[in-house]
Amino acid sequence: MEGFRFVLRRVAAGIPLVLGVTLVSFVLIVHFGPDPTWNLLGKNPTAEEIAQLRSQMGLDRPFWVRYAEYLRELATLEFGFSESTGERVGTLLGRTVPVTLALLAPGFVLGNLLGVALGLLAAWHRGRWIDKAIMGFSVVGMSISFLVVIIAFQWLFGVWLGWFPVRGWAVHDLGSYLAHVTVPTLASVFVALGYNTRFFRAVFVDEIGHDHVRTARAYGAPPLVIMRDNVLRNTLIPIVTRILFSIPLIVVSGSLLIESYFGIPGVGKVTFDAITTGDQPVLKAVVGLTAVLFVVIQVLADILYRAVDPRVALE
Amino acid sequence: MLSAMNAPNPLGTGRGPVLWLVAVAWLALAGCGDPASREDDRVYRHSLDGVPTSLDPAEAATIYSSFVVLNLYDTLYRYAYLARPYEIVPNLADGLPEVSNDGLTWTFRIRPGARFVDDPAFPEGRGRPVTMHDLAYSLKRHFDPAVRSQGSWLWAGRIAGLDEWGANGADYDAPVEGLRVVDDRTLEIRLVEPYPQLLYTLATAFSSLVPREAVEHYGREFGVRPVGSGPFVLETFHGALTRMRRNPHFERPPLDLEAEGYDPALHARYDLEALDGRRYPFVDALEIHFSQENAARWSSFRAGQVDYVMVPNEQIDAVLSSRDPIEVRDEILRDHHAHAGIEAGFVYAGFDMSDPRFGHHPDPERDAANRALRCAIRDAYDWQERNETFYYGIGEIFPGVIPPVVPEFDPDLPDASVRRDLAAGRARLARYGWTAETLPELTYGLVAGVQQRQMWTQFRSRLVELGFPPDRLDVDNFAAFGDFNRAMKNRQLDLFFLGWSLDYPDAQNTLQLFYGPFETPGSNNFNYRNPAFDSLYERTRAMQPGPERTALYRQMNKMVIDDCVAISGLSRTRVHLWDRDVRMLPDREILGGHFLRFVDVERGGGD
Repeated sequence: MEGFRFVLRRVAAGIPLVLGVTLVSFVLIVHFGPDPTWNLLGKNPTAEEIAQLRSQMGLDRPFWVRYAEYLRELATLEFGFSESTGERVGTLLGRTVPVTLALLAPGFVLGNLLGVALGLLAAWHRGRWIDKAIMGFSVVGMSISFLVVIIAFQWLFGVWLGWFPVRGWAVHDLGSYLAHVTVPTLASVFVALGYNTRFFRAVFVDEIGHDHVRTARAYGAPPLVIMRDNVLRNTLIPIVTRILFSIPLIVVSGSLLIESYFGIPGVGKVTFDAITTGDQPVLKAVVGLTAVLFVVIQVLADILYRAVDPRVALE
Repeated sequence: MLSAMNAPNPLGTGRGPVLWLVAVAWLALAGCGDPASREDDRVYRHSLDGVPTSLDPAEAATIYSSFVVLNLYDTLYRYAYLARPYEIVPNLADGLPEVSNDGLTWTFRIRPGARFVDDPAFPEGRGRPVTMHDLAYSLKRHFDPAVRSQGSWLWAGRIAGLDEWGANGADYDAPVEGLRVVDDRTLEIRLVEPYPQLLYTLATAFSSLVPREAVEHYGREFGVRPVGSGPFVLETFHGALTRMRRNPHFERPPLDLEAEGYDPALHARYDLEALDGRRYPFVDALEIHFSQENAARWSSFRAGQVDYVMVPNEQIDAVLSSRDPIEVRDEILRDHHAHAGIEAGFVYAGFDMSDPRFGHHPDPERDAANRALRCAIRDAYDWQERNETFYYGIGEIFPGVIPPVVPEFDPDLPDASVRRDLAAGRARLARYGWTAETLPELTYGLVAGVQQRQMWTQFRSRLVELGFPPDRLDVDNFAAFGDFNRAMKNRQLDLFFLGWSLDYPDAQNTLQLFYGPFETPGSNNFNYRNPAFDSLYERTRAMQPGPERTALYRQMNKMVIDDCVAISGLSRTRVHLWDRDVRMLPDREILGGHFLRFVDVERGGGD
């Protein structure tokens, strides 16, 4: 019961966050985003036709009326139709979000698992050649543009070696899924690994310097046990925080380049197209749902904190 | 799919992350993947450098939309596959129309046997025959304020009563004087004035015949749920791919290569003879891969994932052994067919003539000085440099605004307006008293992007050479074309660069860009007002093609050149490559896509 009340309190506390995010983003969309009118007009429009189109899209209504409408849409999850394609926004997201999740999940999992493993290894060997080699690799991964990595990997694995498709998403079974997801995963892991490893290493190095780790070493505990029980376990809160809070960003923005270059019909590309064309129903849905996702993840993170560290109380 | 789910874990572990991976994969597999080809399918895989948005013919304003719409829907007319200059031929129409002596009444008939594809929009899901009621309905839709038509300008003020029908509430059951359905196969169109381009408009994707049942059944989602009678049926459509299957109900007479303009000297190398006399479409499925990223599109082609590519600029040197004349490297030709041709359109720069600082001016003396300023800027512009820098030197530079692809093009027109002559420009400025102090501040608009910025930098440096102080040259960046377009239509840009793709092969399509009454927000972005030009334009509106009309078109072209309204122009050369297993001659011009029904594929080169 206490836990349920906690969740309710956290959700309630998240409402101002959602309102703030939606308000700021709506101001940006309305006043600074592209005007969709001019993408939807014919070659020889009259002033009347322009006014008529703006009226149809509701662009001539007062800001606060439109914002209230946005909140109603967010509450009912009914965002209407895309101004570009005419497709119902709910259908559009229902079609594209699973693809993005399927596309990014392997890279996300591998990138974090390998990041933790390499971070532990580098931290344990801090200052030695293993540490320097891992950090050097991380810097390389961080320094090369994601775009260059994608193009190079497409050429290497798709054209030169011919092992995997260059682009597309003809996924029908596990085999075809693996064929299409491998190169995007390799590219995203190559880039993300650098950032992850450096972050996790810093956390582990800090933890290794604590008295309890030195005591465990003095007792002669094996390195693997120390790293698992004394270091990893005590650093789970920052790890969980980083991993969880990167999910919304990865889903929305992280997939843009991959989806564009690999021709994958996910939500990142849809969002990018909506930004460039000013497709407000789609933008409103993505921004609003991302804000809600942040709140959900915040609640989830608090619960997980309690799970990984019993000292944390759900109050 | 079920068997994959029940199969033992192929990765051989029971660990959480792997299960998660498989679970998420399953989530994606549940209907989210693109459809696969059957092994014996003949599939042609085309690639395009842009993405269509809506597949509603009323909104098919781009090449990318046209490529899909023209293959899902029927139009009355199309362009002959191989004939150049472009030649209009019947498609769904049963021959050419009968036209009354006054040119106002056109009677069209359609072939028997055409039917819409099966779809839940129809009773019992069975498609019904296509009738002329569908064409009347489809044309009416463009004038329905509830429909966001981007093609209504083709018929606005042309068909008797149609504009009024839209203004009076767009009741689809109400008759329109100029659209009389005589019987299911016959439609009479009554025009307000002769409209020689009418046939061309009935070859555009805008004129596709849509069934009312489907529009009403799908409502706003009609743009992603097309129901047509064209050669293909949609299987999937999203921002990266469209896949269509052959429409089993599509029937047309067999392909007659001679009637399509086949010329052995030009076309024999493409192995098209084998298609003669066969019924089309020839392939079982048609895929169009949309890839805006040049590197990805090119890699896709090199890896054999698509059968066709329009060669990206940065690959031109890797493909061509010679630019003039254009010759493709032998090693490329071993595995591919190649074809080079100029676009049906051009790129150009323009001035906002409504600005009295450098445009029209009521004082004749100042008006002449302003004209000299514009001409001086044009003199300073270096088309050769632009061609070399951005189009690998293979674009075709021409004077004026009638591009080489249309029959009215004048190859003998003097090229002074596209030849850089800095000294002449400076002399003009001096003659009319323009100095660094008096030259106006100019704002140039561009859509944010590296190449657009480079083009402006190049232009700017030529203006500085001419004598413009650098601080008088401003640039406005716009995040999207829509914003750029808005600024241009609101007359906030002094100078702009644009491209124009022809809607039909008639110089009227580009000359209308200078017609006074079409000033912004209309298509006359220059806000050019010249009564003599307007008078000629109005005179030619009703004229049939012929030497007299051509002469008038050329006269109008000369006016635009003499008034230095635009800095024009260059038609880009497209180099097309496609697999040797594919029999076709690709063409993306005139909002194209019709040619896809004539594509055949013989994988492995055998029978």
